[in-house]
Parts: sequence; C-alpha cells; structure tokens
Amino acid sequence: MIVDQAVQESAVRRIAYAVLAAAVRGRRERGGDWGEAVLAEFPETTGDWAAVRWAIGGLRAVRYERRARRRELPRLVRIRRRAVLIALIGVVGGLAVNRFVLSVGYQPSGSMQPTYDISDRYVVDLAAFRLTGVQRGDIVEFPMPGTDRLVIKRVIGLPGDTVECRDGRVWRNGSPLDEPYLPVDLESSRTDCSATTVPPHQLYVLGDHRVVSTDSREYGTVGEGDLHGRVLLGL
Amino acid sequence: MPRKPHTSPQTLSLFSALLDEPQRWRYGYDLSKETSLASGTLYPILMRLTEQKLLETRWEPSDEPGRPPRHMYRLTADGAALAEQRLAAKVAKPRTIGGAIQARTA
Repeated sequence: MIVDQAVQESAVRRIAYAVLAAAVRGRRERGGDWGEAVLAEFPETTGDWAAVRWAIGGLRAVRYERRARRRELPRLVRIRRRAVLIALIGVVGGLAVNRFVLSVGYQPSGSMQPTYDISDRYVVDLAAFRLTGVQRGDIVEFPMPGTDRLVIKRVIGLPGDTVECRDGRVWRNGSPLDEPYLPVDLESSRTDCSATTVPPHQLYVLGDHRVVSTDSREYGTVGEGDLHGRVLLGL
Repeated sequence: MPRKPHTSPQTLSLFSALLDEPQRWRYGYDLSKETSLASGTLYPILMRLTEQKLLETRWEPSDEPGRPPRHMYRLTADGAALAEQRLAAKVAKPRTIGGAIQARTA
C-alpha cells in the first residue's frame, strides 16, 4: 500500500505509523476492521505529537478489539488457552525462581554429618545472602575448588579472623569455639588444622564431620564471590 | 446495582457530537477532535455501540489513489433515541453529591 504523503512528513510520524500498522496487521495483509479504521485516520493528524497520541490510543483500541474477538471464541478454547498460558507462566517462573532465587540441593557425602546426612536435601537461598552477607556459623554452598561439584560447608572464619586448632578444638581470634553441631563422638569431632588468617573477601569453611570432610584445611579459604548460595534449612 | 450502560461522560460527549447532525456520516478523527477523546477511548466506545446496533458503520471508498478507505459512523434510529434519552437524563439529574455518586456507581 502506498502510504500517504501526510504520514511521511517526519521520522516521528513514520515510526508512529509503522508501530501502529504493525500492531493492527501483524504479519497479515489487513488487520481487524477497527484497527484499520484507526490506521486510515492517521494521515488526518497534524504534527508529531498528535500523531504519536493517535498511535498510542490506536494501540489501546487494537487491544480492545482483540479482546472482543477473543470473547467470541468458544468457551472451551478460551479455557484451554488460559490454562496453557498459566502453565507456561508457571513453568517459566518456576525455572527462573529455581535458577536465581531459591533452589534445592542434595548432600551426597557424610562431610556435614550429623547436621546433614548422606542423601539429605536442603533449600538454598541463591540471592538474599548477597544482600545480607554471610555470618559465622552459616552453611554455604559453593563449587569445591578445582571442581564444579557444589558442596556445603559451615563458615568458621570471616575475612580478618584468625583460625587455629588446639587440643582437637577450633579457636577463632584466640577463643575456643562452642560447636554444638559437631558429632557427639570425640573421634569424629576432633579437629586438626594449621593456623590461618582469613584474607579479605575469603571465607574459612569446615564440614561438621571433621574426619570425613574435605574443606579449608585442605584447599584453603574460599572466595566470597564463588559462593553459590546459603543453606536455609534441611528437607 | 449493575452499571447503567452508556452513561459515562465520554460516551455522553460522543453522543452529543453525533447528535449534532444525526444523518451525517462522521470520521473517527473528527469525532476525536470534537469530543477531545483520545483514540484509545473513542474507538472502544464506537466498537461497543456498533456491537449493540446503536451505531452503523461503513467504509468510504477512497477517491485519491494511495489513500486507504476511511471508516465512517452514524447513529442508528435506536442509537439516536438512546442518545437523546441519556443526554436528557444527565441534564435532568440534580447536581448534588448524592447525584454525582449515583452517577458514578449507577
């Protein structure tokens, strides 16, 4: 179709016309009657501002016309469309939440016994901990250094803390820790480590089962930026 | 109380514009200018009125080449009668707060 001279006057008018035409017609040759009616009046507008306002109103009119057409569809078709839409939004939303907000993790080893047993599942917060920061005693999830396997460990030392082990107990900044989460038998709760001062933006982490766990005693401190999440609760 | 149809100020101003010369066919842009309604308000009203057979429409074939045909509107007999009635009812309604509330909720 040859577009009227009045449409071509300025870039703003051309764009407004093109947007409205796209909304009315989509990929079809001709849109709905009412959309076409709004479009046919477009050349009557004078000036950029009037043209843009006409086009914006036209978009609302087109939406109204579409809705009216949808109302004429058989009830079952409408219900089915809505169900599909809801399911789609639910799936996409669920995947987004699982990826960015909250997720569920699986503990395959005994390194966090007795707090998390082998094959336990837990809920991880993937976002909020970045705002609140992690605290001593929190359990965090991160890829084990040198691998891409996610593991969970307890935060023992924050940046600046000194961590050392004496008589099988962990000392932080010169005082022994009270660690009620350790295994009850002395054999598994006995901790040996070399004294460390935690560098900036690093965390010193230990598994609760001090004999089984591979943690900062072996691979050193973990970067705060490498954290994947913070464990909220077990399932 | 269910809302009485075709009583909004926008619809009423459209009615009064259409009743100026009830027999004349009107263009959407002219109506929009005369009533100062945005196209997004005007056209949905036109659609509703047409759907209820209160308004008739036709396409005016274009005489200039390259110019799309334009859509035109005129009240039907039913539409004109309803428009008169609605406009009269609005004038008759006493201008009190109760009336205003009723007009909004009616």
